[in-house]
Amino acid sequence: MHERLPRPSNVDAMDMWVDEAIWGHRLYDEQTPWLCLMEFFNVLVAEHEAGRAFVETGPNTLKYKPKARMHLRNILFNNPKISLIATKYKDNSKEAWAQWFKEMEARKAGVNSDVNFRYLEERFPSFEDFYLVVQFLRRTTIEGENNKRWTSQFVFPYGPDCLYEDLDVKGNSDRRFFARTGELLYLMLTRSGKGPLILDKLQQSVLNKENKFNRLVAALQPKDMSQERTSIREGAYLPYLSLPEYQALADDWLRLLDSNIPKFDVFPHLVNITGLHMIIYALNRAREVLGYREKLTFVIEIVAPKKTIIRELSADCYAEHNNLSKRAVEAYIRKIEETEEWKELNNVPQAIEFLQKKFIWPKDVDELEEDGFRGNTPEQLLEFFIEKAIKRHKQHVDNFHRVWGKEVGFSSRRGARRIRYAPQDLFLKSLVYCVVPKRMEFQEFLEELYDRYGFIIGERQAHKFAQYGQADLQAFAENAKRLEQRLASMGLLRRLSDACAYVENPFGKREEEAG
Amino acid sequence: MTIVKSQWINFLRQYGPIPRNDNMYDEAIHRILQQKKIKPIQISSEYMEELIENFQSESPASVILTGTAGDGKTYYCREIWSYFGGSLDTWESRDKVKQLKLPNSNKTLFVVKDLSELQDFEKKDILEQLSSILQNPDEDKMFLIAANDGQLIEAWKHANPKDNPQIERVKKHIEDLLVNGEKERPGIKLKLYNLSQVNAAKLFPQIVHAILNHPGWNECQNCSLREGDGNNKCPIWENRKRMEGSNDGQLILTRLTDLLELCELNDIHLPIRQLFLLVSNMLLGHPDAKDHLMNCSEAARIVSENKTALASIYRNIFGENLPEKRRENTRVFEALGKFGVGYETNNFIDNVLIFGADDPEFERYYQDWVVNDSYYGANQIYRANQKDYLEGRAEIADDFLLSLRSQRQRLFFIIPKEQEEESHFWRLTAFHYAGEYLNEVYRRAQHGKVSSQITARIVQGLNRIFTGFFVRESDKLILATSGSHSQAKVSRIFEEEISVPKRHGQGVQIVMKNGKPCLEVKLSHLLPAEYLPLNLVRFEFLSRVAEGALPGSFSRECYEDILDFKSKLLNLVERLRLEEGDDSDPNQLTFQIIRRLTQEGTIDHNTVEVNCHA
Repeated sequence: MHERLPRPSNVDAMDMWVDEAIWGHRLYDEQTPWLCLMEFFNVLVAEHEAGRAFVETGPNTLKYKPKARMHLRNILFNNPKISLIATKYKDNSKEAWAQWFKEMEARKAGVNSDVNFRYLEERFPSFEDFYLVVQFLRRTTIEGENNKRWTSQFVFPYGPDCLYEDLDVKGNSDRRFFARTGELLYLMLTRSGKGPLILDKLQQSVLNKENKFNRLVAALQPKDMSQERTSIREGAYLPYLSLPEYQALADDWLRLLDSNIPKFDVFPHLVNITGLHMIIYALNRAREVLGYREKLTFVIEIVAPKKTIIRELSADCYAEHNNLSKRAVEAYIRKIEETEEWKELNNVPQAIEFLQKKFIWPKDVDELEEDGFRGNTPEQLLEFFIEKAIKRHKQHVDNFHRVWGKEVGFSSRRGARRIRYAPQDLFLKSLVYCVVPKRMEFQEFLEELYDRYGFIIGERQAHKFAQYGQADLQAFAENAKRLEQRLASMGLLRRLSDACAYVENPFGKREEEAG
Repeated sequence: MTIVKSQWINFLRQYGPIPRNDNMYDEAIHRILQQKKIKPIQISSEYMEELIENFQSESPASVILTGTAGDGKTYYCREIWSYFGGSLDTWESRDKVKQLKLPNSNKTLFVVKDLSELQDFEKKDILEQLSSILQNPDEDKMFLIAANDGQLIEAWKHANPKDNPQIERVKKHIEDLLVNGEKERPGIKLKLYNLSQVNAAKLFPQIVHAILNHPGWNECQNCSLREGDGNNKCPIWENRKRMEGSNDGQLILTRLTDLLELCELNDIHLPIRQLFLLVSNMLLGHPDAKDHLMNCSEAARIVSENKTALASIYRNIFGENLPEKRRENTRVFEALGKFGVGYETNNFIDNVLIFGADDPEFERYYQDWVVNDSYYGANQIYRANQKDYLEGRAEIADDFLLSLRSQRQRLFFIIPKEQEEESHFWRLTAFHYAGEYLNEVYRRAQHGKVSSQITARIVQGLNRIFTGFFVRESDKLILATSGSHSQAKVSRIFEEEISVPKRHGQGVQIVMKNGKPCLEVKLSHLLPAEYLPLNLVRFEFLSRVAEGALPGSFSRECYEDILDFKSKLLNLVERLRLEEGDDSDPNQLTFQIIRRLTQEGTIDHNTVEVNCHA
């Protein structure tokens, strides 16, 4: 059991501290893996500018100042009339600018009242050029066209001048989409000890000011950014000082960053791999609370045209995993029943005090009654609390496994009623780019996927488990064959003969490691 | 009426797709050859001379024969064994490793005819010995080992390469040879022959020739079914005649060899055993026969039941005589099945087949192609089904559609070369451009220049994918990005264009590389060229996109591959810019933003200059 770091002192405003103790503050379903990466970049750049990238002076003391860049965001995402103005004043650039300035003066939000956009006129030869640039940058929006509020639209991270934090339309941080999962990612990578290496690699992409497109985005912003409101963000909490999961995550990041993938192309793969590691992290923390010791495994279905037994097995596996976090929440709370302190409690007020100490709940006695608590024993209070805790858990953290699995293309419902682990092509690509140095024999690849991520795909991996009989093993063998074919059709596999195939990473640099 | 029960036919049957334990294949054939005193089917083996020369020399190299099941490894081993005086008894004994003395070098040759026969510890021992011999050429032992490439790689794991750098070195050497398709590399005296690399299209005509001219056919001389009248002819003999093709310039052989060549060009290898299987099935296949392969008594029965149409050699080529599952699991039929012959068609061909009897426009073709062949073409059953179909009798629709499929398959092998173009012949397959690919690209590029029209089409296809626009541009290759990542569908930042005709170190053309056609793109004298291998699927894909298909159709994997190639080219542009030095103004940013497509289909891009200093 890993030792849990102490709860931060300034969290009393929160409803309770249960999910956070197990998984950290916090994993959040509405923050997609891409937005997790964006939040991470914001933290990294802020800390880098402060001279302490990937350095944690004391556990859970992260304090950083992300940028808001409201000029840029107004121009790109709070600017619906620009195409109208560009068309209407096509041949009169001066008039177009004048009209546009007028429009933005009325519309602008999240900036001081004396802010204007006049500096842009000097920068672009004509309004039309300005319009083309805005159009172009809008098309690079993360996760494409979506319905989120304009302050939650993010331009592609070409460089540090492109990064800004998520805000509401008034300019305040409501932690809606930057809900701290990116902060957890930052802490995990920091604690892996591999931060400096990762930093070095990122210098060529997201940290590089000189990139052409970063400079273009910078050209949309005023030279003097000192008027910008900036706030300090703090409060992130990652419960464990060191875990093998941090190492595994950092190692995979380095493998991807190290390979020959063109620098910005690597981001979608980082997103996928991070998603996978976060899911593994979440499941493992739950399993730890529940006392499971064996290795976490996933039955992976490579989609077949017809239903196979693997689909059932994978769906069962998925369902079991999906349930783990809820069960862990209850188990975690119930652990206090074994303590001496609990056994000595006689009445509800004592129990309240005890629970407040452990879980910062309930806020006060009145609230409890308003909430509907009618019991009069500590046990009843505990049951009530567990119910509340699970209800709270179901709002967000419970969905994490399901939502993130789908977002990175790891799990899906395709062609069936039940969700199971049926990876999509892009996800498989990310795995190959991550796992295969330059080439790797196919059976070895399957074994490597098992060692690193617990994936059971072929019969050799399934064979390790007593519960699979002959028929199952045959199905697993066919499952592996389908993976071979899929990788071959993606150009990632070379078949020498029936029994021999090599997985090839077209961007691999490293010669195959010995053995 | 005397019907001969030919031994030769029984023997030929053994090569067909009968269910049998694969490991015993070679032994079974060999045993029958001995017992029935049949002359073996001889074809020249590609490497036999070379191998014999090696072992005859004064300092022979150890040899590994690899490939897949059916490539002929055991055959080679046995021939070499007997050439150097090894006895048949020893060969057939249970010893897994046999030895004999080589003549001129006085070395002992150890022959392992199948590595997979050995136990793990025995494999370990052999590989350890091999490693030590290879590092020490003075040793007086040599090895000839035959192993599937999969088995070979597996076996090394048992030799614990991690513990022994000597073994690790040999393992890596062999792996490099295998993966790169090489026979030898300096440093280690070992020759690796990968029999999977032998071109099926080269072997096939030899096999057909050897089988058609085998003396075993003499047994048929006295059979009364040989030259029966009308439909009372022996289907086997009929199939043989058609395969000989003396009346049509060997069209079946030519077309089939083309298909096999196209398989190779699509990176599908068919071992020699599969080719024998194909020939045997072609001659003897029938859905109602035992194991779906006829022998003489079956043939007689089928004639008497009037079911000869189903012995059609044209159907048998695609394994239609076999149940679906068996067909899918037999390599050669799986490979040939990918062409979709019988399922694909065009209006012209179907009009001939269905309406040809009544429609004057197609009557001529109908006569030539269908009526003239009363045995496998428009026989009574076909005509009856056709009539019913045209009159709208739904119940027999399935039957007719089935026979339609067979007819299309037949047409593929009988439409003469002169009529290929007017009938849009290659539309009988899933690869409409296959004919052009084979003749105008693959065969042409080997000793000449590929037509610029074809290159232009490929370039246009690439341009449509690179930009995501419906461009009509084939004089230059357009490199555009979306700024963020290469897999984006539409790219609006114009980076560079590469001239197709040679100019200032730039140029795009189709060349041969390692025996396969490739698109070669040169950006500058200062940098090496980039190559896009053009296998059949890619060629088809790019051609279709150039002619109007959406990139998402036909093959999504091709689409992504092409985008990866664009990445490579963009990397090249990046390198060139670094080489040439950047003399741009640091205070200015210049972009070429693609605004739209013009009426003529060219890219309209705006230069946008941003003054960063203001």
